[in-house]
Amino acid sequence: MKKNTFNLAVRIWTILVYLFLFTPILVIIIMSFNGNKYGTLPIDFSFQWYVQLFSGNSDLLKATGLSLSFSILVAVTAMILGTVTAIGMQQMPGKWRERYRSVTSLPVVIPWLVQAIALLMIFNFIGLGRSYIGMFLGNTAIVVPYVIMMVLGRFGDADDNTENAARTLGAKPVRIFFDVTLYKLVPGIISGTLMSFIVCFNSFCIQYYLAPFGVRTLPLEIFTLVRSGYTPDMNALATIMVVATTTIVMILNKLGYSAKNIIG
Amino acid sequence: MLPSAAFFLCLSLLPLAMLVAFSFIKGNLGSDGSIAAWTVDNFVRMFSSWTFSKLMLKSVGIGLLVTLICIILAYPAAWGVAKIFKAKNRNTMVMLAIVPFFTSQLLLIYAMMLILQSGGLLMTLLGNLGLADSSGSILYSTPAVVIVLVYEYLPYMILSLYSSLESVEDNLIYASHTLGAGRFKTFINVVLPVSFPGLLSGIMLVLIPSVGSFVEPGLVGGSDGMMVGSLINSQFSTVLDMGYGSALSFVFLIILSLIMFIIRTLTNRANKSIGGIA
Repeated sequence: MKKNTFNLAVRIWTILVYLFLFTPILVIIIMSFNGNKYGTLPIDFSFQWYVQLFSGNSDLLKATGLSLSFSILVAVTAMILGTVTAIGMQQMPGKWRERYRSVTSLPVVIPWLVQAIALLMIFNFIGLGRSYIGMFLGNTAIVVPYVIMMVLGRFGDADDNTENAARTLGAKPVRIFFDVTLYKLVPGIISGTLMSFIVCFNSFCIQYYLAPFGVRTLPLEIFTLVRSGYTPDMNALATIMVVATTTIVMILNKLGYSAKNIIG
Repeated sequence: MLPSAAFFLCLSLLPLAMLVAFSFIKGNLGSDGSIAAWTVDNFVRMFSSWTFSKLMLKSVGIGLLVTLICIILAYPAAWGVAKIFKAKNRNTMVMLAIVPFFTSQLLLIYAMMLILQSGGLLMTLLGNLGLADSSGSILYSTPAVVIVLVYEYLPYMILSLYSSLESVEDNLIYASHTLGAGRFKTFINVVLPVSFPGLLSGIMLVLIPSVGSFVEPGLVGGSDGMMVGSLINSQFSTVLDMGYGSALSFVFLIILSLIMFIIRTLTNRANKSIGGIA
């Protein structure tokens, strides 16, 4: 009987914590369908904010487009760089691999504010200043560790038996690499790349410091809007983003990605 | 391999080294990257007035408070997800926790602001219950910063605690009960030690970003909500004194590493004293 009370209490606590997490998001979703300009109740059901969002001239939509293409570029670069690095690290002697791993995970451990400032200073020093190149390099630096982590994780899960079998059966090293090793790593590469994409898409801090003057990526655009208060077309965009995020999370989950991967 | 080593050297280690070097320059870099003069004035200035020390102390305090609230909220919830809810729903609940984890930080802040603002959900609710004036609001104050930070970083704590608690074997708990240990004793001796690695990584994931936050105090902190991150940020966005800003970041990084070192040592000691493994 005592056990049941305890379990019931934990159950209620868990539900309350999840309510705390999701009520604000639900409120945004509901408000995105509220035609009233100041978000007051009762809800006047309408799609007008979605229409306004996609009506060509919206700054939010432009910023979203920029962020999407920029993040794809960063994620693909991170994918190539991270995968090659992880494969290289796998061949290092254990002690060096650990050392190298701590260097590559620095961008995850150091607060982004400090990281962004350090990068801005060095870009100023070499005369690059705030630029697309700088923003690209900075964002790539903070997301590559995620790809490395995920790909190394795949190495950890699988053993060398398949490679050995292929070698015994007479496959050449190049063929073994492409047909066996790379194949084995694909889920790790995909989830690392998706994660890089999401982190880059949302990385306010780095873009706030490194974006060229006057260029507004989505996080910067949202920042400007949030400062000015209630903005109904942002509710619409936020709703779309939450739906998109949920979809990506579901894809990641299908690829065998678990909470452990993120926490490392 | 080599290109990636060069990449990390140039974009991770070198900038940090430069940050340390730049904390000894006077004022700003010239537009051509020239340095006006080398000086230790930045550090003298930092410690001669109380502004930095006060803000640093306040930020660490806020960070610790946020971390503590996250642990209190997340521990039972993570246990619930890992052990009490049906295995079928477990996956969905973990995925639900990942969604805010992947959602833009600014959208989360904005969502919380809508709830907290005057006439928002919370104030209307409190107003209807007769507990507060619904036109008032706790936005633009330090408590608002704490609430927003807890809201942003709670998923990190839930996920890292979950990944440890998931590995607590039910048999161990039964064994502990069979051997006569009570609920509390079982928790201290069986569950807590296994969850220590998750707790530690959760603390790191919550504490470091909340101590260094500058967006949240700027948006919801109001006039007295400033934190050390805001001070560092202002050196680059409004005051434009990069040398001083670098010096602040450098000292901030050292203090942060010290705090993490202390927490790591304390947790390890606590872990050993109750017979934990890792």
